[in-house]
Amino acid sequence: MRRDFIKCCTLAGLGLSIPRALRSASKENVAYEGPYYVVFNASGGWDTTYLMDPKGINEINRLYKEGDILTHGRHKFAPNAKHIQGGMSNEDFYKEFGSELLTLNGLDYSVNNHSPGARYMATGKLDSLAYPTFAALVAACKGPTCPISFLTFGNYSNTGNVVAMSRVPYPQSLQRIANADYVEGNVRSPYHDDFALDRIERALEEQNAARASQIRLPRQERAQSMLYAAQVNSKALQRVTPYIPKSIPKERLSQQAEIALASFKAGVCVSANLSIGQFDSHANNDVDQMKLIPEFLAGIAYFIRRAEEIKIRDKLVVIIQSEMGRTPDYNKGNGKDHWSVGSIMFIGPGIKGDRLIGATDEKQLHVPLNPQTLVTDKEKGIRVRPEHIHHALRQFAGIAEHPFSKKFPLGVKEPEVLKGLWG
Amino acid sequence: MKQTFSILSALSLLTMPTIRAMGADSFFTEEVWPKVGAHSCLKCHKDGGDAEDSKFVLQDPARDATPGRHVSLIHNRAAFSRMAKAVKDGESRLLLKAAGKLDHEGEVVLKPDSTGYRILDKFVRQLDSAQPQAAKDAPPFFDGISMLDDQRLLRRVTLSLAGRLPSDAELKSLGKPDALTKVLDAVMKEDAFYDRLREGFNDIFLTVGIDGNADATVLAYEHFEKTKLWYQKWEFKEITDPKERQQAKYRIAREYREALLGEPMKLIEHIVRSDRPFTEIVTADYAMMTPYTSRGYGMFDEIKDRFKEVNDPFEYIPVRLKALKGRSRQTDQDSETGFYPHAGVLGSFQYLTRYPTTETNRNRLRARMFYQHFLGVDVLELAARVSDAAAATAKYKVPTMEAAECVVCHKTLDPVAGLFQDYWKFAAEGVYGKRKGGWFTDMFGAGYEGEDLAPQERWRSLQWLGERTAKDPRFAVAMVEHVYYIVTGRKVLLPPKDLDDPLFTAHHRAQQEQRALIETIATRFAKNGFNLKNVFKDWIASDFYRADGLTSIAINPAREAELDDLCLVRMLAPEQVERKLVAIFGKGWGRLHSNDGGLGMLYGGIDSKEVTERAADPSGAMGAIQRLLSNDVACKATALDFSRPIAERLLFPHVETDVVPGTTESDAKIRRTIGHLHQRILGRVEASEIERTFQLFSGIVADANERKGLEKQESYYCRPAPDQNPSPDPHYTLRAWRGVVTYLLRQHDFLYE
Repeated sequence: MRRDFIKCCTLAGLGLSIPRALRSASKENVAYEGPYYVVFNASGGWDTTYLMDPKGINEINRLYKEGDILTHGRHKFAPNAKHIQGGMSNEDFYKEFGSELLTLNGLDYSVNNHSPGARYMATGKLDSLAYPTFAALVAACKGPTCPISFLTFGNYSNTGNVVAMSRVPYPQSLQRIANADYVEGNVRSPYHDDFALDRIERALEEQNAARASQIRLPRQERAQSMLYAAQVNSKALQRVTPYIPKSIPKERLSQQAEIALASFKAGVCVSANLSIGQFDSHANNDVDQMKLIPEFLAGIAYFIRRAEEIKIRDKLVVIIQSEMGRTPDYNKGNGKDHWSVGSIMFIGPGIKGDRLIGATDEKQLHVPLNPQTLVTDKEKGIRVRPEHIHHALRQFAGIAEHPFSKKFPLGVKEPEVLKGLWG
Repeated sequence: MKQTFSILSALSLLTMPTIRAMGADSFFTEEVWPKVGAHSCLKCHKDGGDAEDSKFVLQDPARDATPGRHVSLIHNRAAFSRMAKAVKDGESRLLLKAAGKLDHEGEVVLKPDSTGYRILDKFVRQLDSAQPQAAKDAPPFFDGISMLDDQRLLRRVTLSLAGRLPSDAELKSLGKPDALTKVLDAVMKEDAFYDRLREGFNDIFLTVGIDGNADATVLAYEHFEKTKLWYQKWEFKEITDPKERQQAKYRIAREYREALLGEPMKLIEHIVRSDRPFTEIVTADYAMMTPYTSRGYGMFDEIKDRFKEVNDPFEYIPVRLKALKGRSRQTDQDSETGFYPHAGVLGSFQYLTRYPTTETNRNRLRARMFYQHFLGVDVLELAARVSDAAAATAKYKVPTMEAAECVVCHKTLDPVAGLFQDYWKFAAEGVYGKRKGGWFTDMFGAGYEGEDLAPQERWRSLQWLGERTAKDPRFAVAMVEHVYYIVTGRKVLLPPKDLDDPLFTAHHRAQQEQRALIETIATRFAKNGFNLKNVFKDWIASDFYRADGLTSIAINPAREAELDDLCLVRMLAPEQVERKLVAIFGKGWGRLHSNDGGLGMLYGGIDSKEVTERAADPSGAMGAIQRLLSNDVACKATALDFSRPIAERLLFPHVETDVVPGTTESDAKIRRTIGHLHQRILGRVEASEIERTFQLFSGIVADANERKGLEKQESYYCRPAPDQNPSPDPHYTLRAWRGVVTYLLRQHDFLYE
């Protein structure tokens, strides 16, 4: 099995025995042209009843009643325009994106603690610390030679050793390293004459090939190949600088968005994991959620609009999620505690919008979903869990049969595969 | 290396075969226990567990201090056997219970078609036929693994622990009895070792990652109102220039805050440096204070005579703080001794501030971190799947005390949370204070692992906890695991969980081999008075630290899986890269810090706040930094070194820039220099690699000769010093040597440990 893995690394450009064609492709820094995958995380646990799974009954929500629930196409959503101070209201979000939006309610997170929940939602596997997040996996499969193939700004970001993660705190930091072979990044002042640098690169390439022929332990093999790939592929970072905006927005998600968008546009990045925290509203749930949900939606809207401006929106796959929901009742501190049932949303090319799948009941408990018909079915339905979503995502991204995906099986049996989830 | 051998021999004495010989057969130790017992039964069927009153009570091997945990494994096998032999309507009660029958309160634990159930079924059938499976004769775990030679081991040790290259005397001592031990003893007296120690333990405890200014967050207004802002009254009479005075004020505030944040890690340094038992990280009845921080605590006047220099912001000494006085008598701290009930790091203001509580969290975060940091147990790491967590939550009024799925963890966690009950202040309010109305009654009461806290001990509850922690076998194991993390940069292996993984047995063996060594080191650690230096020595002497390659191709997938995590191979953290540069070049790069403008965070560093885990693999962005570093360091170091008298050179003591390739004599000098550079920068000299570097050097010089119009001097940016002109370079050798240095700095042997 590990031989297969090494073979995967090789195919992916991580291995030392990089085939000539791929190696030259890597040297030529061919830009990745999409699709681009962005995962938005509402870290801490969102209150789905204040967004895509409204209730208004059984004292689940204090800010509206059942009769106040709004609709947009097939979507139902909670009204909140009157309760927010900033950001984007649900009303505006659904008005702008409802026709493209796929929502799945009644998702069974299975646990109600942050760490396992975040891991499960990010990887589709609850009982392993080894699995990569979907964002990391898709980056490894689709853009292994991209210098910042998998970009993360927080939340659970394990890579499963199939790709390196990149953390870029500020857009300017990319600018500082983009032209690493030039003094102060000035392309008129190279450190080495071109022939000398070429000799250095060739010597490193030869040394890399020589190491590949040696017998090494798995960790040595992985580390040496990843190091070489990182240095070779880093040259493509030069393409990012034109897309780094001169002024950076103040909002948390918008700052992350600009770094991710510049990286996507430059063809150096496949996936990005964006996150804002503080959703864990154990105290004053409504105050917190009315502040954070609008901020979250505004960040998503900003991302999509900017993607439109730089002409990559048609290649943008958006996943909107959290690691848990919030209880149907309020605690003594007007907060809501952890709840293991929630929702997930998607927007992107190939995803049929204006659809609402799955449900929770009047107590905010999961309702089984028939995986064949995607309608709620208490008799033949299943508990839709993160592995079902990840299985569908892998199929959607065309990576389900990739050796990396097979190295991390999800164990979803055929009768439980969600048929036609993407429409 | 006799000493090394003797340690290795001792460490390899107790492994799984020993356990088998003592009565727990291999099928039980390798299949039944890891795949079923530890995985599905132990969480309830143990003392303090939800099923502690049943007839099937197991022992937690994690709390078993016997070598190889043989006592608990033998006990557990016997318990499984008894239950397996008990029959109800012709079926084994063990299988019936696991399948959720016979009123099993844990309901269905194993479905009949699951791997776990099949293993239990086989276990039962084996008992029936009284033919336990014979132990497999696996070859020794380290068969076919080559080990680091003594010279490279020495380099690894001095660079890793002291940020320096081995001295000539140390190199010469190799081969003598106890050479490595003596070097380690000396290294562990160096200040650089303690810098590394503090850095390493901060990676674990993260106590420097406190938000805001430490004087505002660590020292509560309630208790230190009159003293904590002492620096604002500092007059700086000796400084006449207003601007300079302002700068001095900024500096004193900055250093005071830094000193406050540094106290917990300085406590660790003090314990290790003084050869005190490392249990003091949870039991020390003192804190570390400096002249600056003691002013903040209002203790300076009492202890100032103990300082060597009363204005040194970073001279730490152990001090007992007096019990806290509030702004009203009701908020005074209870204390039977008149002192603050210190409990090492555990009870420090910094630790409690770094891991705060909230009204709804109820100190559970602190309890969770306590288990993780001091007992090596991450209660959320691999949470069990609950069939319907939401329904369980909805069904009970207090699920954490009533729902079996919740009780499993909360019965352990909540009592410890209760021990922190008098540290009930929220963000920026300090740490000490009692909750109005008393502690929560809808939680399990304060205590530790089944033992309740007596009311008269409440004022010193964290000391009470620390005393029990120090005696818990898991403490020693956790500390051994922490040292492993510091020396290798990664966590120890966890037991594999995927029972259907065809390589489960291989992963399990790898984990068990590592675990056996951890426990052996932990046992020695506890027996020898908890001196942490011994743990460093044991790890460094182990085959896990020295493993360096394969002597033959491991074609068996299972064997490859066993070896998957073997070998140090650690990408250096930004701080380590800087230290290594200082060791090799005499000067660091200075750009890999994590402050504003630094590249440390982009290079996988941490801020101890939001980014708390170091990157293990290089991204493309990090690859770019490596290229930039190699270019820039070579630029600054090469001409500078050639500008020095030959006897003072670090890089080029055997060559001048007028030596060009082409003659036997010159080629020999160049090769000798390349050998020196390989040894100095990479720590490895191989003939084939020397030749490759020689070809690089001579190739660059040859290319340059064919080019017209090249400058006859080194680049302006690479001049030896800002006030000097670029060095002459008529033969292009200076720039070719710079190319060689760049080439070497980009290599795995430099960038990794």
